[in-house]
Amino acid sequence: MSVAAQARSGGELPLASPARQRSARAVVGSIAVALFLVAWQIVGGNEIIRSDLISYPSEVASTLVQMTASGEIGSNLQVSLQEFIQGFVPAIVIGIGAGIAFALIPRLHYLFEPLIVALNTSPIIAFVPIVVVWFGVGTQSKAIMVFLAAVIPILINTMTGIGQVHESWIRACRAFGANRRQVIAKAILPGALPPVMVGIRLAVGRAIVGLIAAEMYVSVRGIGRLIQVYSTSERAAEIFVLVAVVATFGFVLVTVLRRLEGAIAPWSLEP
Amino acid sequence: MGALTLDHLSLAYARRDGALLALADVDLRVKDGEFVTIVGPSGCGKSTLLMLIAALLKPSSGSVRLDGAPVTAPGPDRALVFQDFALLPWRTVLANVALGLELKGVPAQKRTEIARRHIAMVGLGAFERSYPHQLSGGMRQRVGIARALAVEPQVLLMDEPFGALDAQIRQVMGSELLRIWERGRKTILFVTHDIDEAIYLADRTIVMSASPGRIIADIAITLPRPRPLDIRNDPAFAAYRQRIWDLLEREVLASNSWGQPAAIGAASGAVA
Amino acid sequence: MIKPIATNTIEPPRREELILGILGTLAFLLVWEIASRFDLINPVVVSNPSRIAAAFVAQLQSGEIFNDLGVSLIEFAAGFGLSLVVGIGLGIAMGLNRLTEYAIDPFVWFLYSSPLIAFYPLIVVWLGFGFATVVAITFLLSFVSVVVNTVAGVQGVDPQLVRAVRAFGGTRLDVIRKAILPAALPLIIAGMRIGLGRALHGVVLGEMFSSNAGLGYRITFHAAHLRTADVFVPLTILVVIGLLINALGNALEARLQAWRV
Repeated sequence: MSVAAQARSGGELPLASPARQRSARAVVGSIAVALFLVAWQIVGGNEIIRSDLISYPSEVASTLVQMTASGEIGSNLQVSLQEFIQGFVPAIVIGIGAGIAFALIPRLHYLFEPLIVALNTSPIIAFVPIVVVWFGVGTQSKAIMVFLAAVIPILINTMTGIGQVHESWIRACRAFGANRRQVIAKAILPGALPPVMVGIRLAVGRAIVGLIAAEMYVSVRGIGRLIQVYSTSERAAEIFVLVAVVATFGFVLVTVLRRLEGAIAPWSLEP
Repeated sequence: MGALTLDHLSLAYARRDGALLALADVDLRVKDGEFVTIVGPSGCGKSTLLMLIAALLKPSSGSVRLDGAPVTAPGPDRALVFQDFALLPWRTVLANVALGLELKGVPAQKRTEIARRHIAMVGLGAFERSYPHQLSGGMRQRVGIARALAVEPQVLLMDEPFGALDAQIRQVMGSELLRIWERGRKTILFVTHDIDEAIYLADRTIVMSASPGRIIADIAITLPRPRPLDIRNDPAFAAYRQRIWDLLEREVLASNSWGQPAAIGAASGAVA
Repeated sequence: MIKPIATNTIEPPRREELILGILGTLAFLLVWEIASRFDLINPVVVSNPSRIAAAFVAQLQSGEIFNDLGVSLIEFAAGFGLSLVVGIGLGIAMGLNRLTEYAIDPFVWFLYSSPLIAFYPLIVVWLGFGFATVVAITFLLSFVSVVVNTVAGVQGVDPQLVRAVRAFGGTRLDVIRKAILPAALPLIIAGMRIGLGRALHGVVLGEMFSSNAGLGYRITFHAAHLRTADVFVPLTILVVIGLLINALGNALEARLQAWRV
């Protein structure tokens, strides 16, 4: 941690080893979260504020158990997962493919640049209604939203990743007689892999937002649909459960991808 | 074989305010099996010279010939060792050493066998499954040397290979390199800015001037081999050191002053 | 552990880039138009550039779209303004005091990594339909990136700077104003850039699902009536706002660069 801490005053902990700082962080953080949960339980559980508006932890927990047991979560999560995969896999393939093509052929990139920049900077959920008009209320429009939200960060990270490939890796290959194709295969593509992986990781969050927004907008089944259903009946506990389900899905996927990055490219974790 | 002939080699960079002459009219003959070091102030184009021989750069005029045949493209007959190691971080030591063989199209089993032999030669036998980021600087450069030797080049081109290492590691690496060289006696062209290193390693030391780079001296180093590390305290060594230092002093002072890079085209009025 | 978030800055286009970009966009519009003229795609459902242009003219003349734009901009300004005040304030508090940072970090982390969009039904329940909800969602979506980067910026301040201000008799407030804030500014601005984009998301989200005015609402309104060409008018305006925000971010960072050198 920064030496800056020494220069500050008030509420200061003595400078400690990184390990002790980590445990201090964990302890203080856990206490804060525990206090929050207790306060929430007291306020909601005793109806100090109407519990259908804010619920309380034990109700959320029992609702989770009940919704899981009834299969309500499982069956809807399955639909959402399918939509996610149907959109995300093509986003990876096309994002990486187009990213490579654009990085190697700048003129091709220039042709599409305004479109990419516009898609990258505009709020992607604004496209939900038009995508639903075009592709219907079923799963297809959700997959398209996932695709649209995910493809841009993957594409951009692939392009910048290739642009940032170390000159020394290319030089090493060229010095031993590599031709252009070999330089691409042996230096540029493997070297760009870590930023591509980061792009895929960034895309997960955006894709989930696109998916849930599209399901909430109009759909037959899926987690977003459930959220919409319970919101009209003012059921805070169910909504918290569903938020937790979506957050957990995102967290698990991002954690898996992070591990994968470490396994595929351990060198990229070095400074 | 590995006899190198450089004829009237020049390189100019096009710049907005004219052309910067990096190398001017370099003539050099290196015999097969000779260990030649090139020393000079920074910016004298000594690294550029290696890039021209490797054909990673094209000369503005003049030619490079290897055993009489003109050099036009990079190839495994001239293997480079870089100051920044230039290892591929996603490859193990074994795969890094095999890179040149792979590009040459050597079959997988054969190249593993050749790579292993060269990894053992540089003393990294226990690390063939390690990745570069797990190795120290000195070990990384051993990988770089093994990679270069594995393609069995006629000439080894070393571009300040120990420049990024600590002084002590540097000396050890120098004597290691000599040990390896004595076994195969490959032609080596070794660029450095360290005068002691240049003398310690060489049969011949080429001294270059800065801006534009040109050869100002070609000194035969007749110290006996094998050379112990403490040969640096030998009076003969000190004499070489003094002589090269005198030659360089002017150059270092010149390149440290406000000296503008020399530009050709001044005569034609291209320089403002 | 709180880490600063970085953005990709997009460099100003060169001439060839510009020309090819315009050509590419025109070709895209042309292909779209021709495809719909030859009934390869349904012109009513999918719409086409000429229909969209006509819808643009009609909506600009009726003036309704200006009202929506105004509503969206006010909600955007209120939500993002709030997240700047709260985000920078909280970020400084967390950056200066480790206990505060440790205690608040889990909550910030939760807001950052959970799908805030799913909370909107609760916010509607709490704050009702309309302005307050849209502002709250905008705030929630955008303030996290401001907090995270402010914390990182404050923690990265060179302690020499703080000592210098103290040595000359500066008060705690002086230290914050004269040393910490200016030094942390680049990272805070980087956080603002990301916050701006997320705030626009928040406005659209809030308006689409819980409002009866604004560009986001107008999109859903036209879509519900299957008036595809009309949907593209507020949508295009939102895309342009997104581009302007990005350009603003670029300009701000370029200014900062020039100022630091």
